[in-house]
This record gives sequence, C-alpha cells and structure tokens, in this order.
Amino acid sequence: MNSVRHWIANHPEPQKEAILEAIASSSLAKIRYALRLMEELEPTRQGPAFRVELLGTYSLEPLRPVLQLALNCLPARAELRIGPLDAIETHISQAVDVAGQELPDARVVLWRAEELLPEVLYPFSNGFPDGITSRRDQLLGRIEGVVRLHQQSAREVPLFLSTIPQPVNFSNPILAAQHRAGLFSVLGAINQKIYDLATDNSGIYVVDVAAWARGEGRSYESVGLDFMARQPFSAAGQVSVALYLARSLRPLIVPRKKALAIDLDNTLWGGVLGEDGRENLQIGPEFPGNVHLRIQRELLELKEKGIALILLSKNNEEEVEEAFSSLPQMILKLDDFAARMINWKTKPENLREAAQELRLGLDSFVFVDDSDYEREQMRQLNPEVLILNEDSDPLRTLNALWETDAFDSLFITKEDRQRHHEYQIRQAREVEAHQDDLGAFLKSLEMTATVEAVAAPNLDRVASLLAKTNQFNLTTRRHSRAEVAKFAEATESVVLALRLRDKFGDQGIIGVAIAVPAQEKRTLVVDTFLVSCRALGRGVEDALWAAVVNCAHRKGIRKLEAEYVATAKNELVADFYDKLGLHRVGGNGSIRRYELTPVEPCSFPLWISAMSYDHG
Amino acid sequence: MDNNDALLRLLRDFFNLPPDIRPEEITQKKVGAWDSLAMVQLIADLQGTFLVDFDLDEIGALRCYEEIRGTLVKKGISLTKTPVSNAQP
Repeated sequence: MNSVRHWIANHPEPQKEAILEAIASSSLAKIRYALRLMEELEPTRQGPAFRVELLGTYSLEPLRPVLQLALNCLPARAELRIGPLDAIETHISQAVDVAGQELPDARVVLWRAEELLPEVLYPFSNGFPDGITSRRDQLLGRIEGVVRLHQQSAREVPLFLSTIPQPVNFSNPILAAQHRAGLFSVLGAINQKIYDLATDNSGIYVVDVAAWARGEGRSYESVGLDFMARQPFSAAGQVSVALYLARSLRPLIVPRKKALAIDLDNTLWGGVLGEDGRENLQIGPEFPGNVHLRIQRELLELKEKGIALILLSKNNEEEVEEAFSSLPQMILKLDDFAARMINWKTKPENLREAAQELRLGLDSFVFVDDSDYEREQMRQLNPEVLILNEDSDPLRTLNALWETDAFDSLFITKEDRQRHHEYQIRQAREVEAHQDDLGAFLKSLEMTATVEAVAAPNLDRVASLLAKTNQFNLTTRRHSRAEVAKFAEATESVVLALRLRDKFGDQGIIGVAIAVPAQEKRTLVVDTFLVSCRALGRGVEDALWAAVVNCAHRKGIRKLEAEYVATAKNELVADFYDKLGLHRVGGNGSIRRYELTPVEPCSFPLWISAMSYDHG
Repeated sequence: MDNNDALLRLLRDFFNLPPDIRPEEITQKKVGAWDSLAMVQLIADLQGTFLVDFDLDEIGALRCYEEIRGTLVKKGISLTKTPVSNAQP
C-alpha cells in the first residue's frame, strides 16, 4: 500500500484517492471504478508505454482489470496482452509471425502444478515414486524448452517465469513432505530449475509467485472460483498478486533510488550522542540495541548493492568520529558513507550539498529520520526526496527498510558493486583536481577507453544506463532493453558502449551512443548520447563522440544529425554539440538540432592514453 | 434508490451503471457487461466484500440484484450498512 502511494504520488487527487481506497478495501468494483478514472488522465500523465504479455496455464482474463490498474499505477500506459489459456509454447512460437504486432516490453509466464504436473497431487495413482520423478524430469525439460523457444523468437524481450506455488488444494501434506518424489520436494526442484534459468541466462527473470503465496497464506485462494473458472484467486488475492506482479516488472521502467540519507541518533543507534554520551548509546545484541544493529546491517547490504549512504547528523563531528571508532558493536564504519554531513545546518540543505557532491538528482534520494520535524522539513523543502519512515519507532523504520521497493532491481551489475568505491574515488579526485593542474591530473589517471558493440553481455548495463542517466544525457530517451537490442542488431546503425579503465581499476561501461539511419541516404541520426554521472569531468564524452564519428566514417556515412532535448536535469549538456563544433541547424525552445558534415576521422582526448576497439 | 445500499453501490461501481439506475434494472440480461468473465469477478467481489461463501447452487442463482440481495440476506448480511473491507488487518 505504501509502495503504491509513492508510485502514484504525482497523480491528481481523485485518481489517487480512488486507487488507494480500492486497494485498501480489495474491492474489485472499486478497482474498476479507479481504472475508469485512470483512463480519463491525459496519456502524457499516465507514464511510459509498457506492453506486457501474460501467458498462463490458468485463466488470467478475469484478472485483467486488476492487473491493468496495478500496471497503470507504476505509473505506465500499460498495454496488457493476455495469451490463450494453457498454450504457452504455441503462443510463443506463433507470436513472432504476427505481422505488425510489436514485441512486448515484457513477457510473463504464470503457471502452476495443477496444470503442469497434476500427477503430483495424486502420486500413488501415478506410479510413485519413479513415475513422479520421471514426470518431474519431463517438466524440467519443458521449462527449459520454453526458455529456448523464447530466446529463439524474442531474445531481447525480458522473460519473467513464475515459480510454482503450493497447490490450492491437496490432501495429506504430512506425507507429501516425507519423500523426494513428494509434492513439496518436486515443487522445490521445479522452482530451483526456474531460479537456475534466471541465474544462467541474461534477460530471464523470476516472478516469485511461490514466495508471494507463502506470504499471503491461504487468504489469496478461492477454491470455488478455481473449480468454476480455473481462476484461483479471491478478490484480495487478485489485488495482491497484481501488485506483486507490477512490482516485479517495475524495475524495467523505473530505476531504483540511488542514495539513502539517514539520521544517526535514535536511528543508527539508540539514544542521543550529545545528551546521553557514547557509553550510554544502545547498540549491540540486546534489545533495543539489536534493532539499531539490524538497521545498520540493512544499510551495509544496500551499500554493497551500490546505494550511496549519506549520513545526515546534527552533532559535533569529532564526537561522532569517536563514537564510530570506539563502539565495538557498530557494523557501519564512517567509511561506509559516501558523504558525511555532520554539522548544524538544516538537513534539507545538507542533503542538497551531498547530492551535488555525488552528482545525483534529489529524486534519487530516500530519507530516514526519527524526528517528525526533520521529515516534515525535508518533505517541504526537498519534495523530490522519498521519505521512507513515518514515525520515530526504530522497529517500524526497520520494517520500512524491509518492505520498501525503492531499491528494487532485477540484477546487480559489477558496476553497482563497485559504486561505493567510485564515490570515494570521485571525492578524492575532486580534491586532487582542485589542487593540481586538471590536465596533468586527468593524464595521471591512466585512462583507457574501450569501445564495445552493444550485445547480450553488456545489454543489461546499457539498458540500465538508459533508464537511469539524467544529467549527461542529450536526449533522455528511455529505450527498453528490447528496443536497444533491436537497434544493435541493425547493421546500418552505430550502437556503442564505452568502457573505462583507470589506475583505480575497471570503471565498467560508463557511456552509450546510439545512431540510427536517417531518411536521407548515408546519414545517421544520433538518437542517444549519454555518459554516466560518475564519469563526468574526465573528458570521456569526447572519446565516445570520437568513437561514434570514426565508426560512422568507416561505414561511409557523410552526415551526422544530432539533437539536444532539454529536460529539467540535462542543462549540463545544453552546449555539448556546440562545443564539439557541430553546426546548429534549427530547433525550438526545448530542442536544438545540429549537423556534422562531412564526417571525418576524429582524434581522441590526449589524456586518454590508450584506446582499443572491440567493435568491428 | 437507497444510497445506503452497499450491494447497489457495489454493482454500480462494478458495471459502471448510472447513479440513478433502479435495482430491478440490474439483471444479467439487461446489463451488457455482465458476461461470464464478469460473473467470476463479481462472485469474488461479493464474497470478499460481504465475507460470505456461496454454495454451488447459490452461485447459479445470482443473476440479478434481487437474487443476490436475497441470497446475502439469507446469509444474515445487512445491506444498509457499510460493507466490510476485504483488506487484511
């Protein structure tokens, strides 16, 4: 419910109220009413277009209104395509032949034991144990086959496989647990196969319906409706599963938050350092110190997943440093914070400074504070920031950290795992850059840029950059993974990723350029040109541009067309093409159009000491 | 029309019916959107909203406002009260 509240935070009040009421009451009538109100919204206020294909072994058509509303809440202009009942393979293999039908942005397979493996409900009528084991193995092969079929026909479309929940009804659960050919073990093996497929295949994900069902208990089921219409969900179950599905798909269109700004006193430890003294702070294995300890554990895990931690504390810095270094139970160390704002300024002001320092937008931030005053001040002065907790209770704060979807993602890249290190290096660089000659400093970084063709191994990272990059992004086009894959496959296009290494290590892919054929012959349009904010100020954008120009030149391109599309966040690059020397040819208030002709080979920045190509 | 009639409100929202529709006009035959798919959803919603379970023979006799009302009343549901929420506590 809290998730949905922040998903639809920018919706008009009538829609917001109707949606929240419908979800709180789990009333399908109110869901339909809310859906009608949502459809009245201007398309531009409904969010990005998002085509979702659902294939199931049980009837999904009755769920359409509730699924539609849940996906619309992401927010998205969702187009829901529900395939024919229990015809997964047939549909996947035929879908590619449907002329004029664009591929979906996501394909979801929802299946369950009742149809996939009904024998396991009656094992002793079906040759237990060997007969069941053999049927299980056949099914594992079938699931692999579905993935293969999907990869043959629509590899670039993310495929979400549901895990198999415990059946709605079966007899003798005690016996079912006693043997490897029993129901629970067989379901475990099937679900393990699904997790394995997601682990081993790029673009295959899990929508964990089994985990969702365990959380719901039996309240999600309706045995009567299952018999009547092969639709197993109660009204409350329908609302819940639809929201769970929407949350599972959400990372495809909404990037996760990048930073968590957190208060110290009564949050990371119990008590107030300045009043209680560090020897009286509550932190450790005993209650209530163990709650604060667990909050610290959550934060450390977020840091390791690439979320920047920002410490916002009204305290004397020296006292805080002493407390961190002298309290043996502390899990977090001061070095775990990408920015530490320990002073007496207001927290909104400190957070804005931290955002600037880390080159992150305010809407990338989540804020936690036990003080009502601080949360309210943040809400009013930095409304873009998501406030995670609602009161001063540390247990509820911990719960909010467990339940939030703000940091949801479908995968963690190598770059994500190095991000904290990056933030630290960036701060060090900024200090150095202010002290020494910038050119000499950049050269001392021993940067090597590698231009890579965009393909399966780097597609996730490229899609992630397209979804998240705001500042150094000339057009801010949020192409889906599928769309990027399509661009990359077209031989006449130039679709490049730029990887950077420096003396601190491999910085990963930090730039993306996409140029596609224009109507005019031997002309390319630069559709996308972006550089990750963590690589700004190092001239890598010049290297990426040189790579685009040189690649276009090799293809015999005579003219490059480019544009700058202004957003609230990309002012930084408003003059980028002017600085590169492109000829401005028009545009209007928010769009500037440019041309480069002829397209001649271009040199790389001097401070990037080596450049190699993986691209042909 | 009785504005306190929870069933009437549910059916109006569910089928997008005009606010002044009379209960006797709400029948499966007269309401175009009341097809078999909607029937499944309507049963789920009635069960969730009024916290009842319908017997198999009752499901076959939920073809209009009056029949649904009669079935709910037989189960001890008062329709002039605000419906009970489906939501989990």
